[in-house]
Amino acid sequence: MERRNIEPSSEKAQSIESTLSSPHDAGLPGRAVAQNEGNVSRESRLLMRGETVIARTGLILASIVLVAMFSNGWLTYQAQRDAVSAARRQQVMAVESLLWQSAEIMLAQDEVSAVRRLLSDAGRTYNLKRCRIVLPDNGIIASSEPSQINLHKLPATWSDGPMEAGPNTANEMLVTLSHPLRIAGRGSARLDLFAPVDYPLRMFLETQGGVGAIGAAALVSLLLVYRNMRWRLRAMGAIREALLALSHGEVSMAALTVGPDLGPEAVAWNDLLLEKDKLSTLVVVGATRDPVNDRRVNKGDLDAAFDAMSQGLVLINEKLEAKFVNGAAAVFLQARREEMVGHGVANFIKYKPVLTAIEGIAAGTVRKRMTIEVKQGGENGTGVLKFSIRPVRREDSAAAMVIIEDVTQQRVADESRNAFVAQATHELRTPLTNIRLYVETAIEEGEANPAVRTNALNVINQEARRLESIVTEMLSVSEIEAGCFKLNRAEVRLDALFTELAADYEAQSRDKGIQLKMNLPPKLPAIKGDRDKINVALHNLLGNALKYTMAKGHVAVNVSIDKSSLTVEIVDSGIGISAEDQKHIFDKFYRAKDPRVGKIVGTGLGLTLAREVVRLHGGEITVDSQIDKGSRFTLTLPIAVEAV
Amino acid sequence: MDIQTQRQGAITIIRPQGPLCGQDADQVKTAIIEASGASLGRIVLDLEAIPFVDSRGLEALVEVTEEMSEGGQALKLCAANKTVREVLELTQLSGLFEHFEDVGSAARSFL
Repeated sequence: MERRNIEPSSEKAQSIESTLSSPHDAGLPGRAVAQNEGNVSRESRLLMRGETVIARTGLILASIVLVAMFSNGWLTYQAQRDAVSAARRQQVMAVESLLWQSAEIMLAQDEVSAVRRLLSDAGRTYNLKRCRIVLPDNGIIASSEPSQINLHKLPATWSDGPMEAGPNTANEMLVTLSHPLRIAGRGSARLDLFAPVDYPLRMFLETQGGVGAIGAAALVSLLLVYRNMRWRLRAMGAIREALLALSHGEVSMAALTVGPDLGPEAVAWNDLLLEKDKLSTLVVVGATRDPVNDRRVNKGDLDAAFDAMSQGLVLINEKLEAKFVNGAAAVFLQARREEMVGHGVANFIKYKPVLTAIEGIAAGTVRKRMTIEVKQGGENGTGVLKFSIRPVRREDSAAAMVIIEDVTQQRVADESRNAFVAQATHELRTPLTNIRLYVETAIEEGEANPAVRTNALNVINQEARRLESIVTEMLSVSEIEAGCFKLNRAEVRLDALFTELAADYEAQSRDKGIQLKMNLPPKLPAIKGDRDKINVALHNLLGNALKYTMAKGHVAVNVSIDKSSLTVEIVDSGIGISAEDQKHIFDKFYRAKDPRVGKIVGTGLGLTLAREVVRLHGGEITVDSQIDKGSRFTLTLPIAVEAV
Repeated sequence: MDIQTQRQGAITIIRPQGPLCGQDADQVKTAIIEASGASLGRIVLDLEAIPFVDSRGLEALVEVTEEMSEGGQALKLCAANKTVREVLELTQLSGLFEHFEDVGSAARSFL
């Protein structure tokens, strides 16, 4: 019975598994089968373990009861039997003593029949197996069993041979006693007694019956307790398993739920799990909803509107604490909003003049609007911030409003515009001065000296052309700025273009002592494009090459053509461009930081224009340069494919 | 992923090279947020060298522009190709950004 419970037959084990797995499957249909099986087998294993623990305990208890019962029975039995056999022996010895004394006297007086009666009575009364008087010649004169008597009359005398007394033994089954008789005037004889020791089983049963009944009752109650506990422990085992899984980080409800048919504990456990699951879901939902609520509910329309402003807004009360800060202000002041609201304004506005202005306005001593520009640098973001501080008056409190604007780009643009205007003025003034001077010379000396006049007119012509090109460049840049820089596409004959380019710069290179070399392929195709603008781009590149190459240097224009593109390399041995400057040379108004560049006139627009032109044609300009070694500008233009 | 940054005046132009997807999206997001912090939000994301974006790329862009919207700004995108523009239109996320033809016009918008 016990064994069967501990190790259920495979059929039973299967039924337990199915009991366990079915509620899971029913409750959670989406659960993976493999996982299910794994869990169930684990659960049922643990369930078995839970059962085994109680079953083993029960078995041990039952064995202890049984062993106690048996040993008690055995010891009692031993003790009782010893006591019984000792008492029997005493009894038999007393009977024997009585018998031999009586027999000696009686036989001496030849009262055989009395002796026989005595023995017979003794045998019957004391339950003796054998009780006889034996003569030396083995003649039995008297016995408890009359059939054994073979001497009917006591002889008058007999050979008085040595009468050996038989062994006096006593064991659990039989007491054997033998006593020699000396019959006066006749001879010697012997009294033999065999007395079986009867062990009364009834007595044992009477003494042990109570103990046995108690043991049996204990076993039965143990069995009942076990049967009862077994159900409880199934649930406990499953819950224990779930707890262990939980402590190992299992969070899936499916893995933690136990079969509800395992008892009220299992149902309670499942309820607990559900509760916990709901709570954690609520916590998660709450955590995610809070910020949303904060944003959506706590934020009024006005606050939202202020946050949508690109200007920073800070409202400051008379205690110089920030009452309201919008998002942009937090960005500009590089602080967190929650660290700003309700805190002293000096914690996040570090600029002394701004603070002074705020103090004045908040205290009510200054009524006018104040504007302060602060240039900030360092890690916290560089830029120019414009603080406008104005008073906000209400009856109950005085306050200041600070509006912060990021005017960095405007300032940068102003600076470059100013630089451009200064540069342009310089660029325009130089040819104008030359023109004025040569006009004066022509007026004063031209009449008399035609050579001087011709020279003067040439210079004037040249300078006028230079002026024209400067103005064109500026116009182009403003067109690029406005985004309306457009191409006038037509056929461009490349051979003519390069021939003119060479002719335009021949004189300049010769004057400066620079070797200008044109490496043109034998045949150049015609491409679609804006001739004037391509010409401007090439002029700017070649002009720069000659401008930034010292005397005795050389400049080469290498033109190559393949199926899809035209590549023009303009290589010089000039002053070169540093790596840092290379990143910016195509930016508008940018001029290299090299002091040698500063001495040479230029607008910082030529390369911007050149690249814009080439890009509009679908090409690109790249630069490769080393300081003091020279530069290589590579211009690529697509030819086969119509440029976008 | 190679991310080029360039200054134009006071504006930082961020130019990621390659598709905006997977792990690269996070890298670009980090780069934008860093640059944004350093230049008080004066940044332009140049999409010229981005052939396409995936969901993570979009997510990164949306996260950045939402963060910037806290400060009353929006992420300025420029030179997006047709594919990227279509993705933004189809996902109806286009309205979260400011779009410009090229870097120049994006930079001018800060004036």
